[in-house]
Amino acid sequence: MRLIAAWLLVLLTAGAACAGGPPEVVSAKAVLATDAVHPGQAAKLAVLARIEPGYHINDHKPSLDYLIPTRVAFDSAPILKVEKVVYPRGKSVKFDFLDSPISVYEGQIRVGSLLKVGADARPGAYTLRGTFRYQACNDHACLPPASVPFEASIRVAPSSVPLKPANTEIFRTIHFK
Amino acid sequence: MKKGKVLVGVVLGIVVVVGLFFVNKYWITPATTKAAKASGEFPQAPQFQLTSLSGEKVDLQAYRGKVVLLDFWATWCGPCRIEIPGFVQLQNKYGSQGLVVIGVSMDDGPAPVRKFYSDFHMNYPVAMGSDKLGMLYGGIFGLPTTFLIGRDGRIYAKHEGLTDLSFFETEIKELLAVPPDRKVADFKTAGYTAAKEIATSTPAEVNSVVPGVDVSKLSPAELKEFEKLLTQQKCPCGCGFTVLKCRQVDSSCQMSLQAARDAYQKFLKSHHG
Repeated sequence: MRLIAAWLLVLLTAGAACAGGPPEVVSAKAVLATDAVHPGQAAKLAVLARIEPGYHINDHKPSLDYLIPTRVAFDSAPILKVEKVVYPRGKSVKFDFLDSPISVYEGQIRVGSLLKVGADARPGAYTLRGTFRYQACNDHACLPPASVPFEASIRVAPSSVPLKPANTEIFRTIHFK
Repeated sequence: MKKGKVLVGVVLGIVVVVGLFFVNKYWITPATTKAAKASGEFPQAPQFQLTSLSGEKVDLQAYRGKVVLLDFWATWCGPCRIEIPGFVQLQNKYGSQGLVVIGVSMDDGPAPVRKFYSDFHMNYPVAMGSDKLGMLYGGIFGLPTTFLIGRDGRIYAKHEGLTDLSFFETEIKELLAVPPDRKVADFKTAGYTAAKEIATSTPAEVNSVVPGVDVSKLSPAELKEFEKLLTQQKCPCGCGFTVLKCRQVDSSCQMSLQAARDAYQKFLKSHHG
């Protein structure tokens, strides 16, 4: 079994963008809960991360003190302030190399962010950039800590223009309180 | 109908995994081992000098004549942590016969490593590693990665990922049994060895402005010209960078490495004949 797992690691490594390097096992993108945002108002953003099958990344609040937590960080943006980041609850998984289960993220996860748009933000298109930082392992090896960039296109609309909900299915599953 | 398709998919999946298992077991690994031997030898372990956590010099050259287990690991790596008590045991059991275990931590800083060293009663030198050291050993893409170096200074095995202690022990006994002045004939790896040759790099390649390519034969003017040439070539790996930029930002990329090496050979031929 371990031989097959090792082989899968080799295959995934071979499939990396730059073949031969560490495999890129996480991809991330960001979406908003509305089609635009209003000056001086709150806005919701979700970072959607996809973790390759066979790999896991650590919970934002890892079960063991030596594990590197998953974190979302935003670049500073003049018109926006990130007020809160909400991480999902991890899944408890038992690995051969540990005595007890640990909380990890597998598959697809959604990290929510509450943003505050500056009152003086002018209508127009903006980009919010950030990084999704993680450290991945499979059941027999670990990859170095890594980060993947993401960006969200944000349109500031005049307060007189009503906002339309977007990505409602995604935001229904994120508990911001 | 839908059930039938799912069943076919599952069966196909099983066939692929089983196929890979046998391809690895009976074709790729023996072919690699054979290639390594046919091409002459197992590679010489790249030399390095580090300072251990306790301040002592860790000079690989000084261990010539001994069998070295070189372990790249990190405190944040669960599979690495589970292997280490086994390495402590091996050092205790075979140290007097000539085994030296060396730990190279890929942590960002020494503080957690010092704590781990003390908590786990490690009895062998541990030093902080670097990407450049990893590059000398062919790139350390996953942890743990462990090399077994014979008394003659050659790398005989590379284990990527958590490996059964008994595999290391079998290989160590085999390597210890060969006197320092004799070559290891027909070394048999006990466990899983990566299905590729054990690749190493030279310091000139690692420290090059074009990482991975030894440009020491070029004059400063030629080097500038060569660098310019690589900035005009798009990297074939799909990263969107030029070959030079790809080498500099991701020295582990094998596609840019091959492109840079090919370009270097052509350049050398056109300038030096």
